[in-house]
Amino acid sequence: MTVVDSLIALIAVIGTLIVAFVVSVWLPGIERKFVQARIQQRIGPPISSPGLMAPIKFFFKQIINPNSPMPGLYNSLPIIGIIITILLLIIVMPQLYFLAAFASVVALVGLLKVEEILYMFMGSLSKSVLSIRMPFPDLVKGAKHTDVPRSFVEELSSMRAFRLIAFGSFPIYIAIFVPVAMAGSIFLNDIVAYQQLHGPVLFTLGGILGAIVFFVGFMILLNEYPFAILKTKADVIEGPLLEYASKYRAYVYISRGLLIFVLSSIFATLFLGLPPSILSWTILINIVVALAFTIIMAIVSAFSPIFTYKQFYPVVAGVSILGVLAIIASFL
Amino acid sequence: MDEDNKITDETPKKQVIETEVPLGPVHSAAIEPYRVRLFVEDEIVKDAEITVGVNHRGIERIMEGLPVEKANSLTEKICGICSNIHIWNSVLVAEKALEIDVPERAQYIRIIMAELERLHSHLLYLAHGNEVLGHETFSMRLFYIRETVMELLRMIGGNRVQYGVPIIGGIRPRAELDQMKIQKIEDGINFLEEKLSNFAERFISDPMIMSRITGVGVIKKEDALRLAVSGPTLRATGVAVDLRRDMKEYDPFDFDVITQDDGDIKSNLLMRVLENFESIKIIRQAINHLPEGSITNRSWEMQDTPITKNYVEAPRGKLYHSYALNDGRVRHCIIRTPSITNIGAMEYACIGCHITDAQLAVVQCDPCFTCTDRAIQIIQL
Repeated sequence: MTVVDSLIALIAVIGTLIVAFVVSVWLPGIERKFVQARIQQRIGPPISSPGLMAPIKFFFKQIINPNSPMPGLYNSLPIIGIIITILLLIIVMPQLYFLAAFASVVALVGLLKVEEILYMFMGSLSKSVLSIRMPFPDLVKGAKHTDVPRSFVEELSSMRAFRLIAFGSFPIYIAIFVPVAMAGSIFLNDIVAYQQLHGPVLFTLGGILGAIVFFVGFMILLNEYPFAILKTKADVIEGPLLEYASKYRAYVYISRGLLIFVLSSIFATLFLGLPPSILSWTILINIVVALAFTIIMAIVSAFSPIFTYKQFYPVVAGVSILGVLAIIASFL
Repeated sequence: MDEDNKITDETPKKQVIETEVPLGPVHSAAIEPYRVRLFVEDEIVKDAEITVGVNHRGIERIMEGLPVEKANSLTEKICGICSNIHIWNSVLVAEKALEIDVPERAQYIRIIMAELERLHSHLLYLAHGNEVLGHETFSMRLFYIRETVMELLRMIGGNRVQYGVPIIGGIRPRAELDQMKIQKIEDGINFLEEKLSNFAERFISDPMIMSRITGVGVIKKEDALRLAVSGPTLRATGVAVDLRRDMKEYDPFDFDVITQDDGDIKSNLLMRVLENFESIKIIRQAINHLPEGSITNRSWEMQDTPITKNYVEAPRGKLYHSYALNDGRVRHCIIRTPSITNIGAMEYACIGCHITDAQLAVVQCDPCFTCTDRAIQIIQL
């Protein structure tokens, strides 16, 4: 690779990151204003508010240090989340396919796993004021079970994050291996090349099933309704994200929007053979996929109640079986 | 010590609880300040304790010594959801004690207000229930439907919250219904009926919602009776008790007492949906047969009376008011809201639920802790 090629590759990577960031700040607004507010017959927030104006506002808010045994680590976790999301995007960019093992589905799975683990750390490192003993007759005459250890709501969500690591991410990982099975390689370079030769994986039976499974996994990974047991309003409220304030909350918002775009780009790379690159018009397809995912996700969320484990387990089991069928179909 | 209460070797030892998860008094799923301590093992609730009293004002104490008209209007401030039923019951106590006859037209308008209030309360309940369930769309739609009722209440009562119309001997003059208002009420309830039917159809046919609410937070019939549950929550367990059947004001109207069998969240939600249709039926009868004549009987005299009590069927259940009159002023005032008797059922319904369902199990009993808080008396331990 010459110096010029390296320079072009660097410009492409930076340019694609900028495009990803610009698109991702509008996605939450599209989700809430154009889809959910319309379905729910209400005005909804301004389109720029959830993804762009809210983070800007939070950047200028007073920093409040949470009640945490390790506040430094707790506050740095959203930044680590953004870094992982950016790494995920860089992996799928064609300019970096020369990195071999780094540009493979194994790296994708590994980074996604770290992303999930972050929620567990966030939950276990924060103690919100909502669970602190209040001046109530908890311990006075007549109260039940006065000597019971108290759990913070974030601890509860941390436990849930642990469970989700164990079973919730099955669908997305199974779906990721559908193109692997078709292309016969774990390297993204080979998967993209296979699709350029044989057409997109999405247009096969295994690909269609895999896409459905991927989408469910996408929603679980984003903790979106109905799979938002990690941040259920009815009990843990925002769960691991509850105590993030000021700029750290802004990072959480940015991270979510970016993750929607990045997961959509992973889908476009694995199932359409169109990796995100500013040097190709196919970046537009990546943007369209991100928009489509956002809109479908918003519709599904708007018409679903939140799932408890009673509904969550069967759905994950069913979708995982569908994913296995997709892999079997991809071998045929 | 009573022989039956003596601790023996056979007395079960205190249950060993793994963790306590306290929710509230400030919590996103609670629209009112209350605290529920959930004692859980592996996210399953083994025991629950509800604490209220955050919003205490001691309205009973404030009412003591006030002229009865002022005391009546104060009862309207007890609850922001069912303000009319409080003032109506308080007025009924005075009318009962002073043996005042109320004009028939005023009775009908009182019924219209009471049933509109029931509609508004039940729709709020359904909207809040769906919000806790996590179904924002249904919640928003129900709030949208409820807006029609709120506008009708504002039109008649002049306000969206404090819209109580009864006064001793009749109703306030501004609540008189002319032909235009009657037409608006008719249009409003027709709209409501259509929208509620659509909602009910979609709600029942949604498998995800049914999976969440069927068989969850069950209150058995015998336990409901043991815990002195009242109102729609009791009827959802299969007990056909509705105080409206015993109120002479409701004699001219034909309506059914709705019951459900299972006592779970589904039964409670459906209970309110079906009761809304009965309320619409009563309002329709009232506006179609609204008698002509005066709306106030002013020919009564104040006198001292002994303690008089009265029960009415509030949207949430049995509401009790009692007081005596002495020199035109209220004495020995006691108010019991329905939620205070339902608290035991709320704690009971949580047991066995997943934590996420626990708030829903509380909400299914339609709590109004604020009115309970405002009326209760603090007893020094």
